[in-house]
Amino acid sequence: MAITVKTMKRPDHEVSYLRAALKGMALTFSHLMRPSVTMQYPEQKSTDTWEISPRWRGTHRMLTDEQGRSKCVACGLCPQVCPANCIKLVPGEDEEGNRYPLIYEIDEFRCVFCGYCQEVCPEEAIHVGVHYENAEYSRDRFVYDLERLCAQTHAVSTLWDPADPKGQ
Amino acid sequence: MAQQDLVTLTIEGVEVSVPKGTMIIEAAKQAGIIIPHYCYHPGLPIAGVCRMCLVEVEGAPKLAIACATDVADGLIVNVFNDDALAARRSVLEFLLINHPLDCPICDQAGECELQDYVFQEGRSGTRYEDYAKRFSPVEDFGGDVLYVPNRCILCTRCVRFMDDVAQEDVLNVSERGDRAFIGIHPDKDLGHEWAGNVVDLCPVGSLISKDFLHKARVWELDKTPSVCTGCSQGCNINVDTRENVVVRLRPRVNLEVNRYFMCDTGRLHYRWMNRGDRIEAPLVSQGGDLTATDWDHALAEAAQLVRGSGGRAIALVSANASNEALFLTKQLLADLEVTAAFRVPRVEGEVPLVGVPGLALREERAANAAGAEALGYKEDFDGALRAANGASLVVVVDDDLNGVSEEQLSGAANLIYLGTLLPDVARRASVVLPIANVVEEDGTLTNRDRRVQRYLQAKAAPGMARPAWWVLSELVRELGRGEVCASAAEVFAALADAEEPFHGMSYDNLGFAGRAMAAAGMSV
Repeated sequence: MAITVKTMKRPDHEVSYLRAALKGMALTFSHLMRPSVTMQYPEQKSTDTWEISPRWRGTHRMLTDEQGRSKCVACGLCPQVCPANCIKLVPGEDEEGNRYPLIYEIDEFRCVFCGYCQEVCPEEAIHVGVHYENAEYSRDRFVYDLERLCAQTHAVSTLWDPADPKGQ
Repeated sequence: MAQQDLVTLTIEGVEVSVPKGTMIIEAAKQAGIIIPHYCYHPGLPIAGVCRMCLVEVEGAPKLAIACATDVADGLIVNVFNDDALAARRSVLEFLLINHPLDCPICDQAGECELQDYVFQEGRSGTRYEDYAKRFSPVEDFGGDVLYVPNRCILCTRCVRFMDDVAQEDVLNVSERGDRAFIGIHPDKDLGHEWAGNVVDLCPVGSLISKDFLHKARVWELDKTPSVCTGCSQGCNINVDTRENVVVRLRPRVNLEVNRYFMCDTGRLHYRWMNRGDRIEAPLVSQGGDLTATDWDHALAEAAQLVRGSGGRAIALVSANASNEALFLTKQLLADLEVTAAFRVPRVEGEVPLVGVPGLALREERAANAAGAEALGYKEDFDGALRAANGASLVVVVDDDLNGVSEEQLSGAANLIYLGTLLPDVARRASVVLPIANVVEEDGTLTNRDRRVQRYLQAKAAPGMARPAWWVLSELVRELGRGEVCASAAEVFAALADAEEPFHGMSYDNLGFAGRAMAAAGMSV
């Protein structure tokens, strides 16, 4: 069977790639003139038009009192409410007879960052943080102990307020 | 109760008939309504001081306290109408003027009646924002009790318990008005054997247990009905466990045995249940050394020993072993000439709870001596030990062999040891079978009044340890002397069939309150 070759009859302006290439370049060059939308992360962490939400729920931070001790009273509500079961808490008693956490550990790998721990905390001690840079060299470093939680300095989440759903 | 002694009244639209002289609060329970209350407790005299149980009695000029108002024929009681709710809301508001909001650090949180009722019918906010709450430091009341005066709502349950039930005047209400607090006798403390009950009675977190302090939050606890093994009284208890660890024992209501109470000795008799040095695998003697093995091998070895024995056999059992285990031990050795004995540790001096006749911390510190006796065991441990010399087989069930020397057992040809811990004397056993302790198995115990009571498994046994009834029923089956039993209930059914004192009993009809032996068989 003889092979038949079908020859396309294209309009003149489609015959050459040149026109399309120039058109593409024109678009590229036109972008040089437009304002930049790329954020230079990690040098730059926010821009005029974009900022991380104050409701961001990232790795935790434990707030401290004036003496630098954690505000936690080891009431046990956060391990109770935690849906991922990532908080380990062992209560103890200090010299003044106050209840405080002997062990307080959060496994950030297990955490689902729901923010319930912050919501339930009666002492406003544990918070989820406005923070997302958590790289480590080993996996065990992702279990944050009390000392580490207290040493965090990043901002804490404001969470969503049902009375003020848009955050105004 | 004769018919003429009953009165019929309507509570919240529910008609109930109760005996004359009943208080409305108790009648309401029969209608399925719990009227909020603090000072009222069925085990204590009525005080009527908390005003929390205010209800409307139609026709009465004002609200009445349900705990101290007699029922009468045709009475119509409204518990949840606007007036009663408003009155109780006000009572709660008054209580919260001074009660601290320290629930996060309070051990009572989760089982606190103030929390419950405020949540149920209290106000959502306070009208006393600027008022500084009164503050007094925590006081050690001795015994196992701490007093946190700030949390006290002055219901006086503790005072009435000590005065009228324990009948030792240690506590009172000191001062008056808003300065009132629970005072303690300057020369006495709550070292009384039964004083720990004030912790249970306290509706709030004012009297708390030092032993349980900060140990767990109550909502994390699993509660299992059980029976105290501290003495032969057989008080009904709840075993509270958290992550497979027993953290406290609390009394469980049984009006026939311990009512609402238990002694401090029993209350603190739980640490041994969590011991870590348990036997975790069956051990078989190989060339004089005990070697861990699996159940099939160990059971086959043990059965072989029983089969190969002739003549005299000795059973040394613990008086804390369950009726089921004792029954099966008997069956296991049925072909042999058996000397079966137990021993009961005794502590001088019975400590009665004066206000509850028949309730005491008994001298006999074992839970199932009566059961062992009913099953034909003799309280002659030393005699049995002497007879062990020259016996073909000695079977030890759950006895710790404390005070038994190696020589006393060396005269016996073979020793099979069923236990939780491995004492040195038991190391010369041919087979060691690890068994569960009382909170790790189901079973029954017989108290000194020959009342058979069930207990349930509260935690998992360590390693390969299995309930004694399972181990023994497997052995009995291996010997071809009985069917295999799949549960403690089946063992008990066989026991009830075979042993006269237990006739007519089953796990179902024992329920959680138990039955006395003499009464059994009559109603079935």
